[in-house]
Amino acid sequence: MIVFENLTKTYSGRKAVDDLNLQISQGAIFGFIGPNGAGKTTTIKMMAGVLKPTKGRILINGLDMAKEPSRAKMIIGFIPDRPFLYEKLSGKEFLKFKAGLYGITGDALHERIDGLLRLFELTEWADELIEAYSHGMKQRLVIASAMIHEPKVIIVDEPMVGLDPKGAKLVKDIFRGWARDGATVFMSTHTLALAQEVCGEVAIVNKGRIVASGTSEELGRQAGVRGNLERIFLKITSGEA
Amino acid sequence: MTVRMFALLISPGLMGFRNSFRRSRGTKRLKVFALTIGGVLFWFTFFIFSYRILIYFSSQEIIGDILARHLLSMVILIFFSMLIFSHIITSLSNLYLSQDLELCHASPATLPELFLSRAFYTLLDSSWMPLVFGLPVVMAYGLVYGAGLHYYLSLIYASFPLILIAASLGIMMVMVLVRFFPAQRARDITMFLTLILIIILYLLFRFLRPERLVNPDTFVSVAQYLGALKAPDSPYLPSRWAAELLWAKLIGSPMSQMFNDLLLWTTAAALVVIDIWMAGLIYFSGFSKAQEAKRRSRAGRKILEKMVAAITRPLGSDTSSLIAKDVRVFFRDNSQWSQLLLLGALVVVYLYNFSVLPLERSPIKSIYLQNALSFLNIGLAGFVISALSARFIFPAVSLEGNAFWIILSSPLTVKRFLWSKYVAYLMPMLILAELLIIFTNYLLKVTAFMMVVSSVTIFFLVFGIVSLGIGFGAIYPNFKHENIAKVATGFGGVMYMITSSVFIAFVVVLEAGPVYTILSTHFRGEAITYLQWFWIVSSFFLALVLIIIAVQRPLAAGLKALDNYEG
Repeated sequence: MIVFENLTKTYSGRKAVDDLNLQISQGAIFGFIGPNGAGKTTTIKMMAGVLKPTKGRILINGLDMAKEPSRAKMIIGFIPDRPFLYEKLSGKEFLKFKAGLYGITGDALHERIDGLLRLFELTEWADELIEAYSHGMKQRLVIASAMIHEPKVIIVDEPMVGLDPKGAKLVKDIFRGWARDGATVFMSTHTLALAQEVCGEVAIVNKGRIVASGTSEELGRQAGVRGNLERIFLKITSGEA
Repeated sequence: MTVRMFALLISPGLMGFRNSFRRSRGTKRLKVFALTIGGVLFWFTFFIFSYRILIYFSSQEIIGDILARHLLSMVILIFFSMLIFSHIITSLSNLYLSQDLELCHASPATLPELFLSRAFYTLLDSSWMPLVFGLPVVMAYGLVYGAGLHYYLSLIYASFPLILIAASLGIMMVMVLVRFFPAQRARDITMFLTLILIIILYLLFRFLRPERLVNPDTFVSVAQYLGALKAPDSPYLPSRWAAELLWAKLIGSPMSQMFNDLLLWTTAAALVVIDIWMAGLIYFSGFSKAQEAKRRSRAGRKILEKMVAAITRPLGSDTSSLIAKDVRVFFRDNSQWSQLLLLGALVVVYLYNFSVLPLERSPIKSIYLQNALSFLNIGLAGFVISALSARFIFPAVSLEGNAFWIILSSPLTVKRFLWSKYVAYLMPMLILAELLIIFTNYLLKVTAFMMVVSSVTIFFLVFGIVSLGIGFGAIYPNFKHENIAKVATGFGGVMYMITSSVFIAFVVVLEAGPVYTILSTHFRGEAITYLQWFWIVSSFFLALVLIIIAVQRPLAAGLKALDNYEG
């Protein structure tokens, strides 16, 4: 379960995230959509513990990110929008390093790493340095690394960037599988079709504030628009502007 | 080729420079101000130093002018070599690796327009520093020889073609290198070759013992002395033409001046034309090659990694993983491990200097001198360790680069992250510092007391030096660097070196008095008074307090800075 309470982030006097309040139940796939500069990545970074909020708090399964960051991070899998990695490590070494950060060692780890590499079709590249990977391969490796400690909450920023159609389908299936197993997925995306297809609930954020939230049908009713999420989104955000 | 397109292509870089200067405020402006003040101070120190040397030379009859002329030739040769190397390094990124190149190559600009705009950037990037820091020497020449305005004008007149020659040669070498190796590989090779060359020059210079040149007594005859003065130049070197041109202006001799002018300008013009011609032939194919996927390289299993894993296992899986990762990255990144060669050269020269000390010819009683030198050695070894820390430890936090999000989003706390870095670098630095001190003390044949004092002092100093390195690295992180070797030369690196040097100096000063008292009373066979004991204990206690502060404060400040880091 994810809770935002009056979450605010200010950069040099400008509010990037403005008093967000939100509650996402366990096992949900939640979409966080909005135009460029709406505050999506800032929110995601605060959830992942990479950025500190100016005001308010974030609870991850009841753990306050500000007060118990290590415990909260222990149950989070974070997938950023740009896959910056240690280029001089091999894919396998990177997964092992990431597991080490979460205190995972032992024989079972090797099986888990091999399983993830297989799942993301990286086995052939396991011992190659990451610097030789394509963008899509790096993105798959980041997603695999986010799964290494079997997180309960997955926070993902633009999951489909750089993925081929096969990789995109794989990721969608994995998200659905996680949610079925009780994990919560918080996903920020510009791909509205993906949000409509995968997410049970969606929040539309604009200028740092949530301007609408609910299921696609509920959002349609709020906006007075019938049809797909794209039309709803454009109506709500243009009305806001 | 149109001038408009050329101007357009160079405009982003110039505008970027202007904007970053105009829009800098607060700490950034303070940094610029501090760097400017530091630069001006360095410039004047260098100027006064050059002036004093030249005044000394001019006071020497017969050989004074010969010395000054050779020195001018050598200085210009050094700056010319620096210019070539500087152009090699910057042209690789400006012509082949910069991120905006894709945009430029996709534009309708012609190849010569594009090539010349990038060459222009390279020239600006590479030339300003050698020029600014070369100026104090040639200005000192003008002052000492009472040169007129025509000499100062000829500085511009001679340096412009010399820079063009260096730039053309540097760019030409890079184009040929990238023709055969991918740009990324070429950069590694160039860096490696540059480093080797610097080390060789450094070692040669040191082993030639240039200090002997100012002491003619050490040579048997004038002929032998003049022979030793022969600078490594040749009539085919453009630096020699520039030196001759300037020398002629200095002493007011019109002889061979025109010939050197012509040589400089025609060579510069010819090389520019050859460069453009070569660019037409091989530049684009090299750039295209640089875009291709990087070579697949397999990661091997290393004994070293297994050793590191075994040593760090008790520290916990998170710390152990982090240290193992750092060791792997260090030995796989050519720009990092190749700096070990520099370290090796530094240590060799350091030890060599001690082995050639003429202790037996000193007018001071040998045993005093040996122990005094041993004490001085604590400070010197401390500075060596500081310099190495600036290269290896200060950039340790920045080393995470853009992948720092992995650390921040993991359960590893920033405190533990810094602690891991501290532990990882402390051990090798302690071993190196102790080896340096013990070996140099052995060469000096010091007393057991001095051996203990210096070994214990350096042992504790290293704790502070490493903490300062990690702490300052965390206060001034640069996660967006393109080349980790450049991180140490930034504002934070300079601040670290200054603070570390002051810290070492304070500890050495605090210990100097008490150690002198102990030694002198011992050699005179006297007893130490109670008052002296009080002073000795107080000084050592203060040194210890200073070391504790140096360990605790930088790490705490670094922790706070990283905790508040917002990219």
